[in-house]
Amino acid sequence: MIANYGYIGLFLIAVVLFTLLMVTIPIALRLLGLVPDKPNPIKNAVFECGMETIGKTWVQFNFHYYFYALVFLILDVLVIFLYPWAVSLRVLGVSGFIAVLVLITIVLVGYLYAWKKKVLEWK
Amino acid sequence: MNLTLFIPELTLTVFAILVILLDLFVRQKRVLAQVSISGLVIAGVITIAMWGNSFPAIFNNMLAVDNFALFFKLIFLAVAFLVILASVDYTSRFARFQGEYYALVLLSTLGMMLMAGAADLITLYISLELTSISLYALVGFLKDGKSTEASLKYLLLGAISSAVLLYGMALIFGFTGKTQLGEIAMVIQTMPAQTLLASPALILGMVLLIAGFGFKIAAVPFQMWVPDVYEGAPTPITAYLSVASKAAGFAIILRVFFSAFGQPEWLSLNWGMIFAVLAAIGMTLGNIMAIPQTNIKRLLGYSSIAQAGYLLIGLAAMGFSAGADTAGRSGILFFLASYVFTNMGVFIAIIAISTKLNSDQIEDYAGMGKRTPLVALALTLGLISLIGMPPAAGFMAKFYIFSAAVQHNLLWLVIIAVINSVISAYYYLRVVKVMWLGKPASEEKISQSGTLKLALVLASLGILLLGILPGYVMRLAEFAANMRLY
Repeated sequence: MIANYGYIGLFLIAVVLFTLLMVTIPIALRLLGLVPDKPNPIKNAVFECGMETIGKTWVQFNFHYYFYALVFLILDVLVIFLYPWAVSLRVLGVSGFIAVLVLITIVLVGYLYAWKKKVLEWK
Repeated sequence: MNLTLFIPELTLTVFAILVILLDLFVRQKRVLAQVSISGLVIAGVITIAMWGNSFPAIFNNMLAVDNFALFFKLIFLAVAFLVILASVDYTSRFARFQGEYYALVLLSTLGMMLMAGAADLITLYISLELTSISLYALVGFLKDGKSTEASLKYLLLGAISSAVLLYGMALIFGFTGKTQLGEIAMVIQTMPAQTLLASPALILGMVLLIAGFGFKIAAVPFQMWVPDVYEGAPTPITAYLSVASKAAGFAIILRVFFSAFGQPEWLSLNWGMIFAVLAAIGMTLGNIMAIPQTNIKRLLGYSSIAQAGYLLIGLAAMGFSAGADTAGRSGILFFLASYVFTNMGVFIAIIAISTKLNSDQIEDYAGMGKRTPLVALALTLGLISLIGMPPAAGFMAKFYIFSAAVQHNLLWLVIIAVINSVISAYYYLRVVKVMWLGKPASEEKISQSGTLKLALVLASLGILLLGILPGYVMRLAEFAANMRLY
């Protein structure tokens, strides 16, 4: 049992050494003068993919987006269940049909609830 | 597929959906409470009718329908019944969301009923999540600062504990290749001890399972959420958390550790020792931390940590001789049954007093003996039962669990438990003293509604019944403790 841990220990030592090596190599190369030092504004800019943002990125979204997302998510899950059921409908027979009917009823109650609670109205 | 054995759960599902639908169309919200209660009663009657028979597990051995599961289902239904009776007045605080409140209580009860029957790690996890997610929402129902904070804390810590639990399950699945508890047990028993010992995966998986379940039952290193959540949550939900959620946690621990890890003996000795240590630390910490509390809900939070410690003694006794033990298991079942009535009685009395006073501070309970003598009497009875003094149910419950522990050479643990019971008497009796001897702030009488009185009377009768005539319930518990192994 200790031997098993020993292997993990070896890996741990390798990981630590590798990380230290990777951090020290560029520093060592710079100090040895092998790498030229020519900074410019574009090089020093923070690396970011995509477009640079205009204005603040901490914008607040309307809460209704989340309601819509949640309501849509439920539909998504329902569809994932319906596809395999539809493909093997013949095998599953009447009991499978009833089971799916129950599932749809439960989801429909959820939609009815969302509708009556005015989730679908954009204010 | 045998759906007839699944009828109690189906009934509850139908009634939960019915409550959601009725809430949309009915203006008179009292109807919702009546519908929920009738659903619980119907499910309860069907469960009682199923009692005593030995059924095979349903859904490909994923859900057990043995007497053990039925016993716990009855406990959950009884707690939900009392909680809904007690919250009929309380729900006026969140008038807009009454339908959601009752529906969520029913759905979390459904989750707990499935937890009691879960014989497969996957069923177990899903039913645990159904319970927890409903409870996260219920804890935040008051929508004020404290309640929201409590809900967020419960959600975050609950999510972490679920992750730990899943990790434990994954390790056990990786080790045995099975998720069904009986099959896990078969794999473990057929393996030679040498193979079991060569890999730490099984022990690690068991420890992570204990950590995940320990969160549910508020065992000690995982108890941090208890005081804050108990204080912030609506009081009926605090009662529900402290009784039903804890009982559900013990139901799955009992089933998983008894049927999957009960044999071989050296394995059960290992986890028995873990539970014994957790019990000792839990009792001591819970009782000592309860002494300086000034808020009665926080005090009961720490008291419930201590009570979880007493219950863990039963698990330790089970671990120390899993093959031969029935006293430990039936002791836990009896303790939980008595704890239902005791803690529900205490919390219903607190709801009765605190909603009128708008305060949970212990010093505001001064003079309740004169202002509302019946409620104060019921609260006193409940607190005496929590200490474990006769004639209340708590005495017999502690007696059974302690005697089981003594039978299995756990005398040191029982000595710690008895010392702790003496410590706990101090802070429980302080509340009693304030109520009967303290000077009231006003002489005005406090009156209660009929439903609340009914709930209080039922709980108090339960405490006295289990305290004076424990034999009948004890026989039921012994009968239920013989789980079917799959």
